Amino acid sequence: MATVVVARPALRPTPRARDEEVLVWPDLVFVEFISALLFTALLFLLSYLMNAPLLDEANANVTNDPAKAPWYLLNLQELLLHMNAALAGIVVPTAWLIILMVFPYFDRETEGQGRWFAEVNSVKNTVVSLMVGFWGTLALILWNSGKVALWLKDWFGFSGGDTLAFLERSAALKDPSIVPWPSWADSIPYLWFNLKILDEGPGAGVTTFQKIDLPTLLVDIGIPAGFMVGFSCLLIFGFWRIGWVLTRRDALITLMSGFVGAFLMLTIIGTAFRGPGQDLIWPWDLRTLEGIPGQESH
Amino acid sequence: MAVEQPSQPTIGDLIYDKLFHNYVWRSIFRTGYPNTPRNQMLVVATNVFLHLHPTRIHRTHVKITHTYCLGGLTFFMFLGLTVTGILLMFYYVPSVDRAYLDIQNIQTNVQFGQLMRNMHRWMAHAMVILVFLHMLRVFYTGAYKPPREFNWVVGVVLLVLTFLLSFTGYLLPWDQLAFWAITVGTNIAGSAPVLGPKTRFWLLGGFEVGPDALIRFYTLHVIGLPLLAAIFMAVHFWRIRRDGGLARPL
Repeated sequence: MATVVVARPALRPTPRARDEEVLVWPDLVFVEFISALLFTALLFLLSYLMNAPLLDEANANVTNDPAKAPWYLLNLQELLLHMNAALAGIVVPTAWLIILMVFPYFDRETEGQGRWFAEVNSVKNTVVSLMVGFWGTLALILWNSGKVALWLKDWFGFSGGDTLAFLERSAALKDPSIVPWPSWADSIPYLWFNLKILDEGPGAGVTTFQKIDLPTLLVDIGIPAGFMVGFSCLLIFGFWRIGWVLTRRDALITLMSGFVGAFLMLTIIGTAFRGPGQDLIWPWDLRTLEGIPGQESH
Repeated sequence: MAVEQPSQPTIGDLIYDKLFHNYVWRSIFRTGYPNTPRNQMLVVATNVFLHLHPTRIHRTHVKITHTYCLGGLTFFMFLGLTVTGILLMFYYVPSVDRAYLDIQNIQTNVQFGQLMRNMHRWMAHAMVILVFLHMLRVFYTGAYKPPREFNWVVGVVLLVLTFLLSFTGYLLPWDQLAFWAITVGTNIAGSAPVLGPKTRFWLLGGFEVGPDALIRFYTLHVIGLPLLAAIFMAVHFWRIRRDGGLARPL
């Protein structure tokens, strides 16, 4: 794969046969014009039928419960419920944006562009990865919100007591009564001095570095990061073994489709299934306690 | 032998001639409707708005299923948001005392105000969805591959800018929905190790969402981010042409 790009002109599209071409006016310009008109009409109709929401005036003393970010950030807000805040809010999105940017530098083959799903198996690869990302994320959310433990208890009369508390929420693994953490585990020094960064002036946070809280590190960062990286690698590895992933392009399709599935599920759960206290509820039970006009009947 | 006489111009011909062949019209549009291939190519090449396009294009690229017009529609949403946004700016003052009242005023007292606000809101959501779908289209058609690597990177930047544009606009109605959404959103930014709290403070101009946050978000929303997005869009569109138009099988 060590592609040394010396002969750049070789990458240029080959000269086109004139009879394969159409004129931009009228063939493209009119398509653009019609789609713009259609969208304008559609948005006028939508705006006529549905008003933009406007609640009561902002008041810092009256909390909205649930307080939700705009819908396209609700995937991150959902992640925040399951792991370390910095990991969910900053590291995951930043890492994903960098991974996205690196795509074309990782897959440098020029074959298979300009056509939908040009590769062998790419449709299967996309659909299955999407489903794994989608339903796998749901399974993880249910596990970490204690629903799995609840169902085991309700449906099968199965209760493991405290020893199986991790089935209710992964955070239980931090509890010394469940996992016999040694007493020194929550403050392991890794620097021999107390490092302080940006801890003065407005907006300074707790930014001292000296000790590691191992149980918290493992449970809040290790487990979720392990799931995210591990599942992705496992999926690509599995598809490689069954011959669905043959090239770097195929691996990217698996990664991207799995991401889209997980992204969709996180957004859906965050938008429609999180009620007061960020508890899982059905969408038809969803109310903000502060009140949306027309829904104040709670 | 009868010689065929030219027919007399009808009243319609005369009106058409007066309307479209007069001195003023000709000073604006040099030619009439381009009805020959030569003129059609000329109009695309010489018109300031159309010359973003090449004059000819591979016939697979005008098939609607090739792109679903997603990139173009995203840009169209940006234009629509600019127009409706400017109209809203006439009535909106980004101060804590006035913001909420201004929005109510726009909805109740301004002619077509509610419609403009709705359009702005739904177009913003549409733009976020369309830009995401556009990214998926580019990915699944393999259009990020060489020689379009850098344009994909520019596209990722534009995706982020679209999210930021939408996010900064979310606070402006100054209602409970806006206030708590931005509180939650900036708390996410504040959770970054080391730089998080500083970033949040810088973003809000204080420790919580207040007057300073409102003016910052407003400024970013109406000038800072649109300007940045316009620059990146210019590069994005320019690179499409430079890199040989839309991707197609080699």
